[in-house]
Amino acid sequence: MPTLTPTDRLLAELERADLLPPVQARAIAEDEHTRPFSLHYELRALLYLGVTLLAGGLGVLVYQNRDTLGQEVITGLITVAMLACFWYAARHRTAFTWGEAPRTSIAADYLLLLGCLLFVVLEGYVQYQYGVFGQRYGLVTLLPTLVFFPLAYRYDHRGVLGLGIAAVGAWVGVSTSPLAVLHRTFDSQLFAGPALGLGLVLVAAGLASEYWRRKPHFAFTYLAVGANLAELGALGRAFDSSKAAAVPWLLLMLVLAAGLVWHARRTQSYLFLLLGVAYGYVAVTYLVVLGLSAIDKELIFTPLVVLYFPATLIGLVLLFLNIKQILRLK
Amino acid sequence: MSLKAYPEEWAQHAALRGAARRWQRRRQLTPAQGAAIEATYPLEYYRPEWWARVALLVVGSLGVLSASVVLGMLTDFKLDIGVGAAIMLAGTLTVLELNISGSKHKHYRSGLDNALLYCALLCGAVLLVRLVGERALGSVANPLLWRWLLPMLGLLLAALLRYADPVVAAASFGAALALLANVLLQFSAGRLLLPFAGMLAAGTLLLALRVVPQRADFFYYRAAYLTLRTLGLAILYLAGNYLVVREGNAALQGGYGPSAEIPFAALFWVFTAALPLVYVWLGLRRYDRLLLWLGVLALAFAIYTVRTYHSVLPPAAAATLAGSLLTALALGVLRYLRLPRHGLTAQADDEVRPLVNLESFVQLETAHVPAAPVPGFEFGGGSSGGGGAEGRF
Repeated sequence: MPTLTPTDRLLAELERADLLPPVQARAIAEDEHTRPFSLHYELRALLYLGVTLLAGGLGVLVYQNRDTLGQEVITGLITVAMLACFWYAARHRTAFTWGEAPRTSIAADYLLLLGCLLFVVLEGYVQYQYGVFGQRYGLVTLLPTLVFFPLAYRYDHRGVLGLGIAAVGAWVGVSTSPLAVLHRTFDSQLFAGPALGLGLVLVAAGLASEYWRRKPHFAFTYLAVGANLAELGALGRAFDSSKAAAVPWLLLMLVLAAGLVWHARRTQSYLFLLLGVAYGYVAVTYLVVLGLSAIDKELIFTPLVVLYFPATLIGLVLLFLNIKQILRLK
Repeated sequence: MSLKAYPEEWAQHAALRGAARRWQRRRQLTPAQGAAIEATYPLEYYRPEWWARVALLVVGSLGVLSASVVLGMLTDFKLDIGVGAAIMLAGTLTVLELNISGSKHKHYRSGLDNALLYCALLCGAVLLVRLVGERALGSVANPLLWRWLLPMLGLLLAALLRYADPVVAAASFGAALALLANVLLQFSAGRLLLPFAGMLAAGTLLLALRVVPQRADFFYYRAAYLTLRTLGLAILYLAGNYLVVREGNAALQGGYGPSAEIPFAALFWVFTAALPLVYVWLGLRRYDRLLLWLGVLALAFAIYTVRTYHSVLPPAAAATLAGSLLTALALGVLRYLRLPRHGLTAQADDEVRPLVNLESFVQLETAHVPAAPVPGFEFGGGSSGGGGAEGRF
């Protein structure tokens, strides 16, 4: 007698409790035993790893081999590979839609991404080695934007959209990489203003794409990047300002945080709720510290430690316990 | 009193409801059937979302901590640590048991009961140290350490059988391995045998675990089973990995500078290279995702091991080559498995749904976008940039 798997025992239990007719239980058991084993996400992860390794490796290789015989070969290879990627993606494109296009080819998705990454490698190298764009650096950073956004919309590709947003960031002088944002906000006055501006534009783009139903599924990318940039930009501005001048920036942070919570409740998103609460908490704490130090410089420490932090900690625990009700889940 | 702390039905009901939801998604059950199953097998315990569980774990631990501070204050901090630990052990265990038998809100791995269990075991550990003497602690090679480890292992195993907690399962395995190392290191040949003993122990554990899914109480122990299986497979590989053996050997000898070559090096190289392939192959043959993933991770670690001791290719060339191979392999397999073959398919299955679209987050840090140059500098290379998060929450 073959040993029963745990699933078989569950089915037997349901059959015994008269919740499942024997025929149906047998059909489900049959399906559980014969259904092919999906390697979908494993293959996608491998493909992604391969594509990033390839583009990253080539990006370094091309600089290492400059001024040698190999440089033409490598640039030529990159060009051919890039064109091949774009050609493959174009051949497998689906009809354009403002909604979410059906995913027909995983290979085409990742090859489009590879093509875009290779485009960046190639463009940077061509400018470095041959100075094609001369001193017009703005054009160098704008060109990827002009390529990536149309591609992202035409091929309905959120990864390429991310690359496009990064390119806009580079154009206005803001790195949208999460780590770079964290490192740069607090020491660069130059960064805060552009980050705040770009963040607000991206948030507007996200809300607009949702409101007019133009690629509404792109809204998440726009809002996640935009809200973080705007909040960190405003925080950077607050840090750079003297006491009273910081208040408007903190209030702006609070408004943005309220917007995040509003959006989180609308889309039932844990991520946006967490972001909103975190930024809101930072802004409120900053305001409290400013207020206390305005009253009496010596007496900041005790009320903060004794009253503020324990009280807010309890508030946070209550928030976590009621998170489902707040998000109107269930 | 039953051996198990929580009613077995709780885990059984949770498993039934999970399976019913899965079958309903596949349209193998009608919504009415799904609703009937949910009504027949209710969840009678409290277990919130994972954020709340973490919060409760912290709150519970802080509660026990403050209780012990109060105990200290009541006795004017003159109480013997061992007696204090014994009192705290008794207290936490009582609360833990009362939770299950008495109150209305029955916590079942809600974070709060986890905190109580871990604090109780911690108190037990302190009490045992007090009983066998502090000289037993120190390095793994300490000849007295087994006196503490052996009763500790017994305590952990008893807790594992009763509460079936995954963290306790991991701690038990760790204690067993430490005990094994401690005994072996008392002999001069022990250091050489250590890797083989580790592999043997992990292999024995994996063999012993094979009967668990066939047991009627499988669902009660499922989380602990999965933890132990993962650790067993990981240790089976790591104990035979050349890098781990060589560096571990050097660390045990306490030398400085580069590690020395080890005996049986060829054998460990074979383990390093062959075991990942065996894992991947078995994972694909037996449709075992855990084995497959650990095999891929082990393969990556094997490559790292090789690159640590031999310079094969410069990094950029290696990345390009590996990237091309991986891309080609993945594209080939995608095409080959478009229709299911050998029981494998490239189609998505809702059995596994990634919580986050991880790929797009990796890209944030790896994509190269040329940055605007600082005025006065020549345009040089590209700095790392990238943006856009895509994920489902």
